[in-house]
Amino acid sequence: MERVRWVFLAYRLPREPSTPRITVWRKLRRLGVVQVVDGLVALPLDARTREQLEWIADEVLDAGGESSLWIAEAASARVERELAAQLAAAVAAEYVAVIVAAQAAAGESVTHRRRTLAKLRREVHRIRARDFFPPPESELAVAAVEGLAAALEAVSG
Amino acid sequence: MRWATRRHCHVDRAACAWLISRRVDSDAAFVFVDDPDEVPQDATPFDMRGVELGHHGDRCSFETMLAHFGLDDPVLWDLARIVHEADLGDERFDAPEAVGLDVICRGLSMIHDVDEALLAVTDSIFDGLYEHRRRGLLLGRDPA
Repeated sequence: MERVRWVFLAYRLPREPSTPRITVWRKLRRLGVVQVVDGLVALPLDARTREQLEWIADEVLDAGGESSLWIAEAASARVERELAAQLAAAVAAEYVAVIVAAQAAAGESVTHRRRTLAKLRREVHRIRARDFFPPPESELAVAAVEGLAAALEAVSG
Repeated sequence: MRWATRRHCHVDRAACAWLISRRVDSDAAFVFVDDPDEVPQDATPFDMRGVELGHHGDRCSFETMLAHFGLDDPVLWDLARIVHEADLGDERFDAPEAVGLDVICRGLSMIHDVDEALLAVTDSIFDGLYEHRRRGLLLGRDPA
C-alpha cells in the first residue's frame, strides 16, 4: 500500500519573548497539525500544507528561532496509522462540539436558531479545512447542522 | 523587469502577479521556479520563502506588496482583505468572497499546468474583482 507523504516542520523558538511562541502555536493549531514530539509537527503533504508550513518556518526564523522543513513518509504502517488517527481524533472532537451545539439549539427561538445555524455552518467549514482523514463525526455534524436548517425551513414554511 | 516566484500559482501568488503587471511594472516578465535557489540574479522574487515580498507577520504577500510599493488605493486594500482570507482563512477580515475565490483558483490550477496560462485567466478574474469592489466602494453597497 502506498504510504501517505507528510510534510514535517522541526522548530525551536526562544522561551522568551512568549508572544511569537503563542502566535506560531496558534497558527499551527489552525492548520490542524499533529504534534509528533515537542518541536516536531506534521501534516499530510499537499501544495497548500507545504506552503503554509513554509511560511511558519520563516516566521520562526524571523523570531530568532530555528526551523527546517522535511518531506517524509512513516517507515511503518503502524506509525502512519497513529498519526492519521491523532489527526482524525482532533477534528472528531471539534465535530462533536458542533453536533452538541446543533442539538442544544433545537429548543431555542427561531431567530436564535437561525443565528446558530449560520455560525455552525461556518464552523463546519473551518473544521473541514483541517480535516485530512474525515472521521464518521464529519458526516454526523453536517447532518446535525442541516437538520437544524430543515427544522427552520419547516417553521418558516 | 523580471519577477520570480514559485511554480503552481495559487491565490496569493496569482494576485501578486496581477498587481505587478497592473500597477508596478507594465513590462513585467515572470519566471517560475521550484526552489528559491533557482531565482535568476536579475529577477525580483515574490511570494517565496525568505524574501522581502512574502508573508510577514500576519500579512500575506499581496498585503506586503501593497505596503512595500506604497499603493494606497482603497480598492486594492479591499481586494487584499479577500486575498488574505482566501489564502490564510484566519478570519482576521470579514470576506465571504474569499471561499469562492479560493475554490476558483484551486480549480483553475488543476486545469492549467502552465503558470502563464493560469495567470492569463486569474488576471482577468482580478480585473473583474477590482472593478466590482471599485464600484462597490463608490456606491457604498454591492453593485448590481
